[in-house]
Amino acid sequence: MKKAINRTHIEQLKPMREPLSLQDAIKESNRCLLCYDAPCSEACPAGTDPAKFIRQLKFYNFKGAARTIRKNNILGSICAFICPVEKLCEQKCSVVALEDPINIIGLQRFAVEYGKDFGLEPFQKKLKNKGKVAVIGAGPAGMSCAAELAKKNYDVTIFEKESSCGGVPELMIPDFRLPREAIDYDIKNLLDLGVEIKYNSKAGSHGEVKNFLSDGYKAVFIGTGLSEPYKLPLFNRYSNATDYISFLKSIKKNREKVNLKGKNVAIIGGGSVAIDSAVSAAVLGAKKVYLIALEHLDELPADKEEINLAHTLNIIFKAGSQVTEVIAKENQITGLKGKEIDWIEPNKFIPANAKQIDGTDFSLNVDFVIQAIGTKPGEEVKKFAHGLKTNEKGIIAVNDNYETNIPGVFAGGDVVNGGATVVQAVGDGKKAAESIDRDARTCVFTRIKMLINKRRK
Amino acid sequence: MTTKADLSIDFCGIKFENPFCLSSSPVGNHAEMCSRAYDAGWGGIVYKTLGLEKSFKIVMPSPRLSVYNYGDKRFVGLQNAEQITDRPIKDNIRDIAFLKKNYPNKVLISSIMGYSDDDWAELAKMSEDAGADMLELNFSCPQMARKDAGHRIGQDFESVSHFTEVVKIACGLPVMAKMTPNITDMIPVALAAKQGGADAISAINTIKAITDIDIENFTPLPNIHGFSAATGFSGPSAKPVAMRFVSDLYNSKELGLPISAIGGIETWRDALHFLLLGGTNLQVTTGILRYGYRIIEDMIEGLSDFMIDRNIKSLDEIIGKAAEKIIDPSEFTTRYQVVSVIDEEKCIGCGQCYISCHDGANQAIKFDSEKRKASVDEEKCVGCLLCKHVCPVWDCISYKEVDAKVTKHAAVF
Repeated sequence: MKKAINRTHIEQLKPMREPLSLQDAIKESNRCLLCYDAPCSEACPAGTDPAKFIRQLKFYNFKGAARTIRKNNILGSICAFICPVEKLCEQKCSVVALEDPINIIGLQRFAVEYGKDFGLEPFQKKLKNKGKVAVIGAGPAGMSCAAELAKKNYDVTIFEKESSCGGVPELMIPDFRLPREAIDYDIKNLLDLGVEIKYNSKAGSHGEVKNFLSDGYKAVFIGTGLSEPYKLPLFNRYSNATDYISFLKSIKKNREKVNLKGKNVAIIGGGSVAIDSAVSAAVLGAKKVYLIALEHLDELPADKEEINLAHTLNIIFKAGSQVTEVIAKENQITGLKGKEIDWIEPNKFIPANAKQIDGTDFSLNVDFVIQAIGTKPGEEVKKFAHGLKTNEKGIIAVNDNYETNIPGVFAGGDVVNGGATVVQAVGDGKKAAESIDRDARTCVFTRIKMLINKRRK
Repeated sequence: MTTKADLSIDFCGIKFENPFCLSSSPVGNHAEMCSRAYDAGWGGIVYKTLGLEKSFKIVMPSPRLSVYNYGDKRFVGLQNAEQITDRPIKDNIRDIAFLKKNYPNKVLISSIMGYSDDDWAELAKMSEDAGADMLELNFSCPQMARKDAGHRIGQDFESVSHFTEVVKIACGLPVMAKMTPNITDMIPVALAAKQGGADAISAINTIKAITDIDIENFTPLPNIHGFSAATGFSGPSAKPVAMRFVSDLYNSKELGLPISAIGGIETWRDALHFLLLGGTNLQVTTGILRYGYRIIEDMIEGLSDFMIDRNIKSLDEIIGKAAEKIIDPSEFTTRYQVVSVIDEEKCIGCGQCYISCHDGANQAIKFDSEKRKASVDEEKCVGCLLCKHVCPVWDCISYKEVDAKVTKHAAVF
């Protein structure tokens, strides 16, 4: 059993895993079997290629390892802290047939930090001779797409509505999971490639997406993510109910301003952001923190390591439960009533599939509610792109090449996949960049062909 | 109570309760250490080499050790720049007398190194008088600060023969000559010792080697104030070389002397290897430097269990049994062909066998990336077993005999 952490000391909250020392890294990389056609690399949506950087570490090619990560994943430093590896590369690790999987995320972090500490040469600014591309959104997908295109000699400008670069990891992931320096390192790499970022630039301030194309941009990539949190109508009237985006953002901006001392906080939801919110509430001095999720404890979508961290902070899990009633005084929530649930059909974790169990009523004294039940694309996307094909939730439809129904307009990341991992968004951005490049080349090719044909005539 | 097999040996007419001895080194530096080694169960001690201060003042270099590491595995070999004892001769002689008085049933072998006939004779006589059971003549220390000592003598047949004779005349003790491996063929030196009257041969002393270099300042290690030297290398990674020399000695028909085997022994299996290659007596230092005297418990218990399991009554029954099977490579049969067999159940799908066979052997392994399983193409497999050796699952890859008439790429001359 892990020792309980004193909640009042946020400094004690370390990122998920301890950093590896040189000795640890050598030992760990030597456990790697250096598989043929390595399944870990296969499992990385961003193509970070852990098999290669671990091999490089094993053969003392430390800077080479740092280069591999940076080259393959522009968010390599961020991913080294927050990637849910236990569901990706580490799950596929061949060593699990014999012993614990390789601590891949630990090695990634070691390699990135080695590169930082031992002066890995910065990216060279690339020539910008292949035309302009606009990227909407400086989150993981946008950063990744921009980096790839810059490497391919495109002149890339990112239009970002916030005043900072990094998207969800930068705006919402708490410091104890993702230190500021880790984010800055990836941003620096992006800027070194010559990518330009225009901040405070609302998507659509340029007008319609088609305006970009007529303004000489060869392509547009939409990586606006999901910015609109779902909220339960149940909590609409109350001033002490918020959503995880507002909550986590406000802590990132100014932790001192958020006072939860002595309060009982309830988080609704069971994903990573719910756990982040719960852990943050605990760290900010909440008396009791409840996590109310429809999913049962073993069904929670959050990572095991995150859940363990929540356990060490004595967060009370009301997993497999549903809020049935809000107790309030005027516009202030004072308590929640709920019931345990069962699933009507197995493996379908949606509210419509939940059946409340009689006689399992519980009631909690609650002063603050944080809803962490998912997000959808912001309204601005629709305004910005008329005629863009989306589903009813606003998720943009793309083909296999990440191209939308509007020729020349591509999209990737959460706004396309409906909310997945950072590493998935990085992968989307990379693949979209390849499509954009392919597209641009075909255009040129077609034009040349047309010219030739004309001359022949 | 556990049944114990009889591990005793007769070596040059001396009875050892077990064949395990400390070899001449810091592990047998003085009486207090040696007492603890005896108490732990060691059958004998080759005391740290004695020399006469009047001939040469010993000054130990510092630092003195460096290790050979492989991957994350440290200390797979040890390099030392240790000299013979730096204690006054009278102290050492007093210690030897003390040990023989208090441990009469244990064996004490005095290792000596002289520079002149008088030195050798005097050291031999002093040892005998102090009660030592036997002498070991150090013809093999690879890093003596004096140029006309140690392994330089061991490479000079005449000196070996001559000094052995001097010692044999000076005292009545059995004498073994310790051989250096820093020579192409050990047999002529061993024969020279025999000619001088040696009763046994001990081998090997350490191998002259360089283990590591500090790449910051381009200085080999140990860095002795800016300089280093190729000095004695020992431990697990020296064992294969030691095994070769021990078997050479055993298989020499002309020599016919008992052997005290030395080189990388840490476990009873290592010990058994040397017994099977012809060692009667066994000596250990590096294993003790690394793990302490206590390793004797596991060597005794393990070897004893092995003997009981195999119904071996005396170690004499097995000494040299593997050495007899060592032949010249020119005598290998070409009428024997094996191919690898991969146990699909045990295969964890890492594909290391595929990579090694593909890049280092005969491209005889196929890898199914879908199922993540390796399989052998028996038509192409030449049975080198590289795959077996790289497989992380110890018992996943084996081999089977196939019709040798279908000659593959085997060497046929």
